[in-house]
Amino acid sequence: MIGGLGVLVGLYGAWLLLSRQDLGQIVEVAIWFAAGVLAHDVVIALLILGVGALMMRNVPLVLRAPLAVGSIVLASVTLLAVPMLGRFGAKADNPTLLDRNYLVGYAVLVLLIAVGVAVATVVGMRHGELEEGTGSGASPRR
Amino acid sequence: MRAPAEHDFASRLRSPAVAARVGVWLGICFGLVFLTGLISHYAQNTDHPIPFPTVPAWGYRVTQGLHVVVGYACVPLLLVKLWAVIPKLLARPPTGPSVGPRELVLHLLERASIGVLVAASIFQLATGIANAAQWYPWLTFSYRPSHYAGAWIAIGALLVHIAVKLPIIRTALGESLEHEGQDRSSATEHGALSRRGLLRTTWLATAVAVLVTAGSTVPLLRKVSVLGVRSGDGPVGIPINKSARAAGVTAAATASTFALTIAHNGREVSLTRDDLLAMSQHTYTLPITCVEGWSASGDWTGPRVRNLLDLVEAPRGRDVRVESLQESGPFRITLLQDNFADADNTLLALALAGEPLALDHGFPCRLIAPNRPGVLQTKWVTRLDVL
Repeated sequence: MIGGLGVLVGLYGAWLLLSRQDLGQIVEVAIWFAAGVLAHDVVIALLILGVGALMMRNVPLVLRAPLAVGSIVLASVTLLAVPMLGRFGAKADNPTLLDRNYLVGYAVLVLLIAVGVAVATVVGMRHGELEEGTGSGASPRR
Repeated sequence: MRAPAEHDFASRLRSPAVAARVGVWLGICFGLVFLTGLISHYAQNTDHPIPFPTVPAWGYRVTQGLHVVVGYACVPLLLVKLWAVIPKLLARPPTGPSVGPRELVLHLLERASIGVLVAASIFQLATGIANAAQWYPWLTFSYRPSHYAGAWIAIGALLVHIAVKLPIIRTALGESLEHEGQDRSSATEHGALSRRGLLRTTWLATAVAVLVTAGSTVPLLRKVSVLGVRSGDGPVGIPINKSARAAGVTAAATASTFALTIAHNGREVSLTRDDLLAMSQHTYTLPITCVEGWSASGDWTGPRVRNLLDLVEAPRGRDVRVESLQESGPFRITLLQDNFADADNTLLALALAGEPLALDHGFPCRLIAPNRPGVLQTKWVTRLDVL
């Protein structure tokens, strides 16, 4: 029943998409739909898998968990920061829009994440071993 | 070298136990952005079969702030969710003598529904996040109808996905996080993080995403939201969306000949800004909430719109057509529905924070009503037609 409702809701969305704009606009939406999937499934996914594999091979055990945490947070804020760092929407006549120094803000975030990773690593070393789940993490993860 | 396959993914983090738990929160967030999005879409419609309420005055500020902030929160959730299920992308369709055409068709349909879900989800987040920063990298399509249609497609595909996966979700949530009963046979390797660690990291990344962006609408977070699209600064502490220069109204708005016309049933009254100032003035604290999610609260002063309509003896319960000095743009003319026109705290503001309205805030006079999207808070008002 949920599935049937989902099909109806989705079809309504498709009808909204097809009925309110001209063909050129609909085609561009379709291109964006496809490009989004490719951007994730090819670019982002491969990048994450590559970085993950590199990390597992080349990073000392004690640093791995903090670095994995830091990487997930960093990847998220980096994606969010794209429109701000690029200032693509900035308007010369509107100083209230995109009115922060985003480069400094982003640098501060990166720094905080780096400090967090460093502190967690030191704490991990002091404890002699990291938390559960890392004990047998010797082989590369994909 | 052969292409990677589903069984090449060895991490035991990629488990239904993890995907279901992240998925629950992603689903809740999608539900929230969908509902708040519907509210915003309805509020922007001219036709309100069910009147959009004028109370609470801060309602739209909360729903639209939630819409945008929860949208940002979806980014880390979706990233981790997709990471956890990426082997499924490479899964081969079922084969063998026991697989009939029906199974094959169902499998392909399910794969197609996942494709639609992922495509629509990424489209919604990408267009929404770009729109919040007033970035329009697409060439032809119109943002509002496309984002609206995409929302229905995403939610529809999500419901299908939930329906298909419900048995797996139920089992996963009923078992402990470490349970491996539903895992792929190759998903056995321990990695840098435990399952608990990955979930905690996901919640942490989601919290960070909220903290660094929400300051555009939550004043308390202004200092920490280093990626907020607005710092909250502007003329008398309120940001603007469209400047007088961009609207091309500078000359007309500052001309000594400016007059506001109020018309009803063939009767017209013309008022200068001084005439408006001579009327009974009222001050209300009302938020200005942009559809792009930022908001700020201000003390607005001016005559009540209802008192202006009384000048042409317009009865209560009538919609009002509000016209701006700006020469073009989709919101040059807006409709003020009857319940808003009659509300005590719907003003034709002449001042903000005790100072005469800045040109960019709509000088000589602008509409400010409770619980309304900013695009309908028409600036540089020159004419009110009672319908």
